[in-house]
Parts: sequence; C-alpha cells; structure tokens
Amino acid sequence: MKGVFVPPRGALWLLRHLLPVTEREVFIGDLLEEGQIVRGRTGARAARRWFWHQSLVALLMLRRRRVISPTCQPAGDPRMLTFLGDLRHGLRLLRRAPAFTMLSVLTLALGIGATTAIFSVANPVLFEPLPYPHPERLVIVGERDADGTMTNLGFLTYRDFVRESRTIERGAAMGSWQVTLDDHGAPEVVAGQRVSASFFSVLGVHPAFGRDFNVDEDAPSTNSVVMLSHGLWQRRYGSDSSVVGHTISINGVPYVVAGVLPASYESVVAPGAEIWRVLGYDASLPYACRTCRHLRMIARMRPGVTPASAAIELSALSSRLVREYPKEYPAAGAIVQSLGDATTSTARPVLWAVLGASALVLLIATANVANLQLARAMRREEEFAIRAALGAGRARLTAQLLAEGLLLALAGGAAGLLVARLTLAILVARLPQTMPRLSAIGLDRTALLVGASITLLLGVAIGLVPAMRDGRGELGSTLRGGRRLTGGRRHLARAGLVVAEVALALMLLVGAGLLSRSLVRLMSVNTGFDANHLLTLQTQATGPKYADNNAVYLNHERVLAALRQLPGVRRAATVSQLPLGGNLDAYGVNAEDKPLANPELAPYADRYAVSPDYLGAMGIAVLRGRAFSEADNSDRAPLVVVVSAGLASRIWPGEDAIGKRVHIGGPNPPWRTVVGVVADVHQRALDASESSQFYVPERQWQFADNVVAVVVRTQSDPTALTRAARAAVQGVDPSQPVTAVATMEQVVATSTAQRRLALMLFGAFASLALVLAVAGIYGVLAGAVAERTREIGVRSALGATPGAILRMIMVQGMRLAVAGLAIGLVGALSLGRFLQSLLYGIDAADPLTLGGVALLLAGVALAACVLPAFRALGVDPITALRSD
Amino acid sequence: MLGEFEQLVLLAILRVEDDAYGVTIRHAIVEESRRDVSLAAVYKTLTRLEEKGFVIARVGEPTPERGGRRKRYYALSAPGKRALRQSIDVVRRMARGLGLGLEPS
Repeated sequence: MKGVFVPPRGALWLLRHLLPVTEREVFIGDLLEEGQIVRGRTGARAARRWFWHQSLVALLMLRRRRVISPTCQPAGDPRMLTFLGDLRHGLRLLRRAPAFTMLSVLTLALGIGATTAIFSVANPVLFEPLPYPHPERLVIVGERDADGTMTNLGFLTYRDFVRESRTIERGAAMGSWQVTLDDHGAPEVVAGQRVSASFFSVLGVHPAFGRDFNVDEDAPSTNSVVMLSHGLWQRRYGSDSSVVGHTISINGVPYVVAGVLPASYESVVAPGAEIWRVLGYDASLPYACRTCRHLRMIARMRPGVTPASAAIELSALSSRLVREYPKEYPAAGAIVQSLGDATTSTARPVLWAVLGASALVLLIATANVANLQLARAMRREEEFAIRAALGAGRARLTAQLLAEGLLLALAGGAAGLLVARLTLAILVARLPQTMPRLSAIGLDRTALLVGASITLLLGVAIGLVPAMRDGRGELGSTLRGGRRLTGGRRHLARAGLVVAEVALALMLLVGAGLLSRSLVRLMSVNTGFDANHLLTLQTQATGPKYADNNAVYLNHERVLAALRQLPGVRRAATVSQLPLGGNLDAYGVNAEDKPLANPELAPYADRYAVSPDYLGAMGIAVLRGRAFSEADNSDRAPLVVVVSAGLASRIWPGEDAIGKRVHIGGPNPPWRTVVGVVADVHQRALDASESSQFYVPERQWQFADNVVAVVVRTQSDPTALTRAARAAVQGVDPSQPVTAVATMEQVVATSTAQRRLALMLFGAFASLALVLAVAGIYGVLAGAVAERTREIGVRSALGATPGAILRMIMVQGMRLAVAGLAIGLVGALSLGRFLQSLLYGIDAADPLTLGGVALLLAGVALAACVLPAFRALGVDPITALRSD
Repeated sequence: MLGEFEQLVLLAILRVEDDAYGVTIRHAIVEESRRDVSLAAVYKTLTRLEEKGFVIARVGEPTPERGGRRKRYYALSAPGKRALRQSIDVVRRMARGLGLGLEPS
C-alpha cells in the first residue's frame, strides 16, 4: 500500500498539548515514523486507529512526569503559554469551589441562554433581510382609504397600476385561498394563495422542479393550475416527483400541478401557505370590479426606485382613476410599503420589548456573577498579596482573574446553549401562528455567533471587575494581617452592582406588572357575546356536489340537527365568520335615507351570514326589534338585516334604525329592512375600539358560504363535548374535514396570543431577576456581616443593644435596595414608552403598578436582610475579639 | 535488581546498537517477545532507566518522516551494563539444574 500516513489531527493535538514537554517532540516523532510503517502493513484506517490507541495510552502513562531536561525547550509564544497556565490554574481554583462555580455557571447559562433564544426568535423579523433576491425592491401596494389607512384593491385597479406604472418592474395580485385536498389520503384543509402568474418571478423564486405558472394560464378558464410547497409535496404526495404535470383533486375538482417550490422557500406574505393557484381573473368577472377590494398587491420596483417615489407615481395614477370612476373609490392615493415593513411591523414592538427584557436579565446575571467573583476576590486577598510579594505584577494578577472570568463565561456559554435550545423549543411551540417569519426561527449561525460574542464579553467583564484594586499599597498591610482595611473599593463595587441589580429587576417587574394588568383589563372587555359554555368548530361544504347553494344550506341544517341531538347541547348555529376568529369580511352599508354622492364612503361593517338561532346561541343581546327566526328562511320572506348598535348610531345617530332600508355589497344589491339592533361584538381584536356588524340569514345572502363556523351552546364544560361534536359533524358528510375545534374562550385567548407571550416572557424574566437581585442583596450583606464580626463584637462589648445592631445591618442592606428602587423607577418611567403599544387601558407610568412593584421588591429585599442581620446579633463579643 | 521489562529494554538497546531510539527499541522487543508493547510503555521505562543512570540519552537529527522532529538515542552506561549483567546472572543461577532447558548453551 502506497501513500503517506496522515495522523489523526485530534490525537496529534492532544499529544501536543498534554504530553510533558520533555517527551513531546521525540515521542510524536517516533509515533509518526512508526505510523507510516503501520500504514504500509495494515492500511490507512488501521494506522489511524493504531495512532489513536498509542496516543491515548501515552496520555495515560506519560502525563504526570515532570523531569526538567536540558534537551528540550518548550515551544510556542511564552505569553500564550502563561495564559494557558492561567487557564489551568483557574480551572483548578474553580474546581476547588464547586458551589461558587455551579452558581455562577448556572446564572450565566440562564442569562446567555435566554438572550440567545430570544435573539433567534427576533432576528428574522428585526434584523435579517427577507429571503428573496434584492428584497429591498419588493413592496406591498394598497389603496388609500378615506381615513388614510391602507386597504386592499380590486382587480381592475391592480391591473391599471401594473400596466401604467413606470416605477414598478413587475407586480402580482394575491388573494387568500383555503382548500381541501381530497385525494391521496384523508381530506385535508390546506392554506394557500391565489396569485397572478407573475407572483414567483416578482419574488425572484424558481420552482425546485416542474415549471413556473404561464401568463396564458392567468385567465378564468385556464386557471386550474397549482404550485406546491416542498413540505406539502413531501407530506401528502410522498416526495413523488411524478405528481408534477399530473392532476390532483382539490375540493373535488382536478388541478394540474405545475411545479414544486424549493424547500428553502419561505412564504413571507402568507405565513403557513402551502399551495398556490393561478388567480385567473379578467375584467369580465363580477368580482374583478374596482370596489371588489379583496386582493393584495406585491410588486418589484425597478432598481434605484424607493417606496416613496413609487408611492408618488401610483398616487398620481390613482388620482386619475378617481377622476374617471368617482363613485368607485373612497379617496385618491396609493400606499407603498416595503415588504419587510408590511409583513413584520406588527410583531416588532413585542419583539423589541422581549429582546430588551432578555438583555436586562443578562445584565443582572452578569452583575450577579461579577458580584460573586468580587466576594471571592476579597477572600483571596492573602493569595494575591503573596503572589504580588513574589513578584507578580498587576498585569499578571489581572490576567489570572481574566482567565478565571473567561473560564466561567465559557462554561456558562456552553450550558447556555442547552438553555437556549430548550427555551427555543418551548417558545416556538407557543408563538402565535400569525407571527411573521415563524419558519425562519432557529438557532442558526447568527444566533450562535451572538451567543458566543456575549459569552466572551461577559468573560472579560466578570474577569476585570474583581481586578479593580486600591493599588499596591494595601498588599503589605494584607500580609501583616490587617485584613479589615482591605477591599474598600471592592465593597463599593459590590454595593454598586447590587443597586444595579435591584434597579434592573424593578424595571422588569414593572414591565411584567403592566402587561399582566393590561391582559386582565383586556379579558374583562365586554366581548358582546357569552363565551362561557360555548364550543366552536369549522366545517365546510365544498366540491361539485355543493355547487348549488341549496345543497350547502341543507348541509348546514343537517350539521345543526346532528349537533342538537347530542346530550348536553342546548343550542347550535352556523355563522360565516367567528368573532375574534381572525377573519376580516366586511362590506359597505348604504342607507336608503342617507344617500351618499360617493357610495364608497359608506361605513364598513363585518358581515355575518347566520342560521336563524345564531344571535341566541352566541348570547348576543337584542337591544331593539327582534332576532331572526325560521320564518326568515322561507323563500317568500322579505329581506331582513340586523345591525349592531355601533353601526346603527354611525348611520342614524339619534334615530331609530328599525324599519330603515339598506344596500349591502354586490353590484346591484337588493334593499334589506332593518328588523333588529343588537349589542356590538369585537371582530378584529379585543382592543379594537370601533366596530360595526350586520347579520343576515344565510339563505338571504347573495352566495352560500362554503366554509362556516359552528357555535354550540352547551349545558356544562364544552371541552367534554369536543369529541362527540366532531364525530356528529363528521358523520353528516365524511368527505368534508372538521377543523378548528375549540371553546370560544380559547378563541378569545388566542386573539391575545401576542400579549400572552410577551407577558409569559416578562413574567419569567422578572421572576428570575427578582431571585438574582435578592441573592445579590443577601450575598453582600452576609459578606459584610462576616467582615464586620470584629467591629460588631466591639460595639456590643461597648454596650450596643441588639436592637441597635439589628438596625445597623438592616439599614445597610435597605440603603442599597432603596437606591436601586429609585434608579429602577426612573428607568422604568423612561423605558415604559417602549411597552406602550403592548399595553391596554393602562398608562406605562401607572402609579399603582410602579408603587406596588416597588413595595413588593422592597419587601423581598427586607426579607433578604433579615437573615444576615440576625447572624450579626449572634456574634459573641469574646470570640469576635479573639478571632484575629 | 532490574524489572523484567527494564531488562528487555536494556537488551533491546544493546541489540540495535547505534540506532537505538523509541521506534527501533520497541521493534526489537516486539519481534523477540512476540507481544504488543506500547511506545508509551517503552518511554516510561526509558525515563526511569535514565533517572537511575543506567542509560544515557543523546538528541539526534530531525528527519522528514518524523515531521521534522528529532530523535532521542539511547546507550547503556557502565552502571547500566553492570546492572543488566547482574540481573541476568541472577535469573540464570536461579534456573540452573531445574531441567527446564534454561542452562546457557
């Protein structure tokens, strides 16, 4: 066998670093020489194994011998060797103080781990560019509404924007699409998008295999073409590439699979989307009108164009359109937002707040460990003094402390990695599904780099803090036994650190307090319905057999009949969208007696197409007039509508709404008569201030809703009925999936998921901070009592009462706590505005929260002072005076 | 009195004469004793023998197959030779007349 023997690098490294210098060179030389021979005889693999074996035996047998031999000089930079020696020395010292080491490493691990985990959650939203080529040129375009906010646009407006704009290179329209896949296994509901054929080329994404959509497919008769996400293709189609070019069944209709997206594709504009269908609109379609504002527009700007200049151009275009079609736009203007801002801006405040909170925890953890190191340094005065007397300069002693700090930080960082992994797993499971860029979260290289930098920084900080000294003058006195006089500046430093810890802990506690009080207020908001004992689920009636509206209504009636037969069910009803369920289905409402020159300026209201018993089943109070009845379902029944109190007072302030007639949606809508006024409900969010709703019997609406929510009012705990209700609905038509089974209380809670997450993290961080701060106070005070034993002995010998001594120690501790509280209050007041957007019904400077938290912290600090104070009482003057 | 392995190492040094360093010493022992001896064991014994003054070490030249590292050559000192002879004599005397075929030929 020919070839050169390549020794295993790991073994070589171990030998080079662990063998005694006297043996190192010759031994490695011998091994290399022989390795070549072994390789010739038995092959490369066997030779490497042999080398490892020989190395390990050598490390076991030859390590301890230290013979100074004149034949070998240690190789390497002497400064580096000294530092390695420092590290080794530090390691020995840390091993000798296991309690201190464990405590420090644990504290650091929690701080570093939490920060790294939070950073990896926040990084995609706050810092990373979007995962597309030239993401800075991608924008979301919308119309400007009368109140200046951004709205979706109708197909014709989109078409005019794309055709006539000079600043936009390519654009695509997007609508949401929720479908049921009904071949290749059990029916499955999948979220997706309907997009223009240009969509993927706007993003700059190419299918992993198959082809992109064709422009000629983007028409009403040719648009049964879909693109699959890599995940969906793997999960449902078993990674079978032959599915490309063939048809799959969606809602009972065949669609051609054009291609499969790469695994790296991240659906930023529609989180969770797994399937894309060609939009296929043209001007002939009734829902392609200018007022049919259900499309979003994404565009790639030409190079060098900014969103602001694109907005100027499109606004001019929009003004022209408004002149041309004055009754189809509420206002002139276009809004252009960078894709990054449009998709992540809602999540930013909470992520900044949580990232800030984790940074505070990190600071506290650092302060705590630095404090422990200081305390240790004080106990080691003698060691330092002896080393200094033997000629160690200040730099050498500092280097030693630095090495110890780095060791602690490295151990903390390594353990922190575990903490980060765990925390991240817990966090990701609890993040709201609406969180942008959810799939991009992970402990990636950036996060690890950040964790490593933090670790190094902490190492230096922890090492340098105890290196602060009074200068060399004190060393002599230390050796002469004057221990009482040393470490004055360190005492000050320790006190400072404790004050900082208390201040930071107070800030975190205030944040947690404000968030929890917001959530309490939010949950006590009157939702307008009774969420108690209410089970909800989603069912659908899609596919060819439900092409007829009546078939859909019949399906709904059968579902309700099946549910009503279950024991424990009091009432059941269907509704086109669930309050706080995340849907946004709103229409303009035009009153007959309040005609508007521009009907587009009519107030918008959420649409609920319901079965007759919906209002009763939800417990929505009827304020005037009546709710619906079965009679409204008959073919000859007059068209009726029920409006919310908010809508009634917006259209008819001071008037009675009953009997008025309104136009709702559609190109030529029929008149509907208002027969009832009911309480407002919250549709978008609990903290949304203004909301308007209207209710129509589902048989009276222009189209049938294929996907509806079912609400079931139960006699007792609704979760007990989950299984039975699901089975009952599934039994009506096994081909239609039943999804989103949850109690209404869960639906309400989910709508506050972002706040809950922020609160959970703040709560966890604040508790950790509290524990660390209290430990800091206790540690400093306990150390002070131990150091002042002699003084306390003298005092009590001279007649100080136990009460006076107790007071002396308590005052020393509480002075630190109060200073920390004062600084913390100032900090909480100045940082409060960063939390403002997460608060509800409460000011960031809420005196009750600030005062309550300060009191709590003061109380806990007092408790931390008690133990050391009583230990001071136990000092026996005789022994104290003899101790030196 | 030398240990058995010390005897083997000293004998090996004598066998390879001028070329006695780690690799050749180990080879000599492995060949004659038919047992696998780790290089580290050889080194440990050599160090001990050097401390006792039985062997003398001398640093040799670096060679390319050693990655440019030097060799350390060993030779027996006068006390080393004496100790070896005495040690073997003892074994020989103890074995004499036992009919084990251990007498010198």
